[in-house]
Amino acid sequence: MARNKTTQKKKTFVMCMLCIMVLIGLLGRVSYLMLFCSEHYTELADELHERERDIKAARGRIIDSTGTVLADNRTVCTISVIHSQIENPEEVIEVLSSELGLSEEYVRKRVEKYSARERIKSNVDKETGDVIRNLDLAGVKVDEDYKRYYPYGDLASKVLGFTGGDNQGIIGLEVKYEEYLTGEKGQILTLTDAKGIEQEGMGEKRQEPIAGNDLYVSIDVNIQKYATQLARQAYETKQAAGVSIIVMNVKNGEILAMADVPEFNLNEPFTLIPELEEAKASCTTQEDEQNLLNQMWRNGCINDTYEPGSIFKIITAAASLEAGTVTLEDGFSCPGYTIVDDRRIRCHKAGGHGQQTFVEATMNSCNPAFVSLGLRLGAERYYSYFEQFGMKKKTGIDLPGEAATIMHKLDNIGEVELATISFGQSFQITPVRLMATVAGIINGGNVITPHFGVKVMNEEQNIIQEFEYPVMEGIVSEDTSEKMRYILEQVVENGGGKNGYVEGFRVGGKTATSQTLPRGTGRYISSFLGFAPANDPQVMAIAIIDTPQGQYYGGQIAAPIVRQLFENILPYLNEIGYNVTVSQQK
Amino acid sequence: MSGKQTTGKKKKERHNFDYVLLTVVLFLVGFGLLMIYSTSSYEAGIDYGDSAYFLKKQAGSTLLGFFAMFFVSRIPYQFWKKWDAVAIIGSALLILLVLTPLGIKRNGALRWINLGFITMQPAEVAKIGVIIYEASIITKLGKSLRTPKGLAVVLVPPTALALMLWQITNNMSSAIIVLGIAVAMLFVAVPDYKQFVALGCAGIAGVVAIVYYAVASEANGEFRMQRIRAWLNPEAHSTDKAFQTLQALYAIGSGGIWGKGLGQSMQKRGFLPESQNDMIFSIICEELGLFGAIAVIFLFIVLIWCCMVIANNTVDLFGALLVVGIMAHYAIQVILNIAVVTNTIPNTGISLPFISYGGTSVLFLLAEIGIVLNVSKNVNVA
Repeated sequence: MARNKTTQKKKTFVMCMLCIMVLIGLLGRVSYLMLFCSEHYTELADELHERERDIKAARGRIIDSTGTVLADNRTVCTISVIHSQIENPEEVIEVLSSELGLSEEYVRKRVEKYSARERIKSNVDKETGDVIRNLDLAGVKVDEDYKRYYPYGDLASKVLGFTGGDNQGIIGLEVKYEEYLTGEKGQILTLTDAKGIEQEGMGEKRQEPIAGNDLYVSIDVNIQKYATQLARQAYETKQAAGVSIIVMNVKNGEILAMADVPEFNLNEPFTLIPELEEAKASCTTQEDEQNLLNQMWRNGCINDTYEPGSIFKIITAAASLEAGTVTLEDGFSCPGYTIVDDRRIRCHKAGGHGQQTFVEATMNSCNPAFVSLGLRLGAERYYSYFEQFGMKKKTGIDLPGEAATIMHKLDNIGEVELATISFGQSFQITPVRLMATVAGIINGGNVITPHFGVKVMNEEQNIIQEFEYPVMEGIVSEDTSEKMRYILEQVVENGGGKNGYVEGFRVGGKTATSQTLPRGTGRYISSFLGFAPANDPQVMAIAIIDTPQGQYYGGQIAAPIVRQLFENILPYLNEIGYNVTVSQQK
Repeated sequence: MSGKQTTGKKKKERHNFDYVLLTVVLFLVGFGLLMIYSTSSYEAGIDYGDSAYFLKKQAGSTLLGFFAMFFVSRIPYQFWKKWDAVAIIGSALLILLVLTPLGIKRNGALRWINLGFITMQPAEVAKIGVIIYEASIITKLGKSLRTPKGLAVVLVPPTALALMLWQITNNMSSAIIVLGIAVAMLFVAVPDYKQFVALGCAGIAGVVAIVYYAVASEANGEFRMQRIRAWLNPEAHSTDKAFQTLQALYAIGSGGIWGKGLGQSMQKRGFLPESQNDMIFSIICEELGLFGAIAVIFLFIVLIWCCMVIANNTVDLFGALLVVGIMAHYAIQVILNIAVVTNTIPNTGISLPFISYGGTSVLFLLAEIGIVLNVSKNVNVA
């Protein structure tokens, strides 16, 4: 028997130690990988394993001054299928197609498609979603989601606006206050195997969404409803192209109501209103249809300009009083027309108003008298008042797409232009622009910024932001302002605006009947701007009827609308803290 | 107890049974089964509808392996001395059998044969075959081992076997192991060092030359050296050659110090294909962390140490060489496996002894333990 020699034992030991040293070296290598490369490989591995799924954040609500929710969120469901988890495809196809009202073919295609997750339908009612969830079909997933919901349908549609597929604001306050309303998306990080199947119970990471903040607006749902009702009534009885009513706080510019009929259903913003359905038939391109939608969504109160007509005489009168070119007692004579630069400008009263004071001329809305006021001021001075009153600037209202004033250049204003500007023609402004300036003239000289947004609060009812708006102060003296209030009350008490008179309240105002461009088509815009109480104005309303059929004088058709509005809202305003009945007795 | 009395009473022999070695092996096999279940259950549940599919198959092979171990441990090891020619020729014949209709092709490699009652890998037989052949022939050659003729008798047959494994079964790693076992046994048998140091240096120079060639040939788009380039920069070859390696690195790296916990591996969920096989060590790292990895390597060190102690306490050269060969087999396979999984060397398929899934492998590994246990009965380890 060969013996195991000492040298051989030594070599066995050497070999063993060599192997152990190599193993210890490898242990070092493993330690290096697991300690110093851990972060790098963990990151790469997580990237490979994790799937992100967004969780929508609830969008902030829009709440009116009475606490009524005007824009809310409704829970809707998204139904999807996970191919690899489906056990009974035929049952799934049958149930989904019948419950969701989809064709069997459509559902089959998606159920049989080999993909990690296939969406069948989104924006499904919660009730339907619950029914499907309760059936507990393997491979069918029902995810809850938020959808914007407007409880009042078409109320203040053009003001509130609506949201798109990703819950982002598209028009109106929804887009203006997007940064406050939109929350922060949350995320679910799930781990999946190599085939993309989610691993349950494997450390799902969830980042909760942060709900958007609530926007509190100055709209009063009761006044808004009433204004809309009146506008719709006029729209129908006058077969008008459109009727706008705006109600605004004269002191601070808060808008209590803004109706622009025809409105549209905010819950179906891509469905054309019946008025536009006809036009749709003649649409040939996608662009044409989009234009119709844009037309439907357009807010005439701010997006469109018009010739303000006689209401603008308030500006001419205030400028003249401020410049001292007229006193209340100044006499004017109206033969029914006036000649400017061999152009004959007619008064609306063919026979003329005869001899009248400045106050009476305003009550009569006499064009020749106001032409002579304009001429007394002269183009340059008139223009500087126009600018001083803020008429050339946008009001800064918190809605997107406010239209700018369209006005002559000073160099281009000759006598004729000056004469027509004096009674509100040959230039264009938006209704809100007109209201903001008139408010400034009658409230003591402060042109406020018309607005809706008051404050933003989070879910815990903490104020995130209170909005402040710029005010142009001192556009007219208190004296001028007081005189204007007196004159405008006279217009309603005894003049052309007497249809705006409200029993038991002191109302001031001015009517307007403006021809639309091009002239001679027999199309008019009738309007009335009223405020109350006349001696200390709190609230102001304007009614604008675009292209009424039949009677078209502002004093006859627009003034009664404001009267009806005031009759209903003035007592209500008193109740909610507006002081509109001060010193009824003159 | 007298270790010199190889013909002593059975009662006394039992007393000398190496229980440390047996404990380490039992622990490794048990841990291996646990990890096979952990690594394979997810995919097995999907592919076979039975999460214990691989566990059951491996448990069967392991049971068979324990019978083999027990049986072999009862055979006096001198018995194997006569089997030198049978071992080497039989191994060669089995390798040739894969070319007959009995050969089975799996994953594109012709490595298995179907013997009717069992399918097996001839490579596993070749490893034990070489161990028996070398131990026997070196003992028989005695002093003439260091003559050129003696060296030829010792080195040519294993080299031939290695070439067959490489060329016929396309199994380079088994070829390396067979050759490595032969060289290790020769190293122990002869008193020389210089030659082996020179051989080692030559090997290192060769490796450096090949790596240099691989890098230099990158510009020519040489395809054969892709595997080496993937080894040098796995993240640049993440979709093809380095896919498996990179997935293993992800698993090891994401384990960290404490690991994700038993059963919590993500990489075994289809990212690291067949993670119960050669790459099982990476999942051990992912689930049990650095401490799990240290424990596994420590167990193998103890296993090798035990073999060394048994070999050095054996008076008989044949018995000592048998144990040395088996020690070399375990050591080479563990080292290469961990080196591949950690991307220390280029990827080549080598399983982790006692732990990786594989029936033939565990059967022969346990049979080898049987031989070592039998040798250990005749020594006084304590």
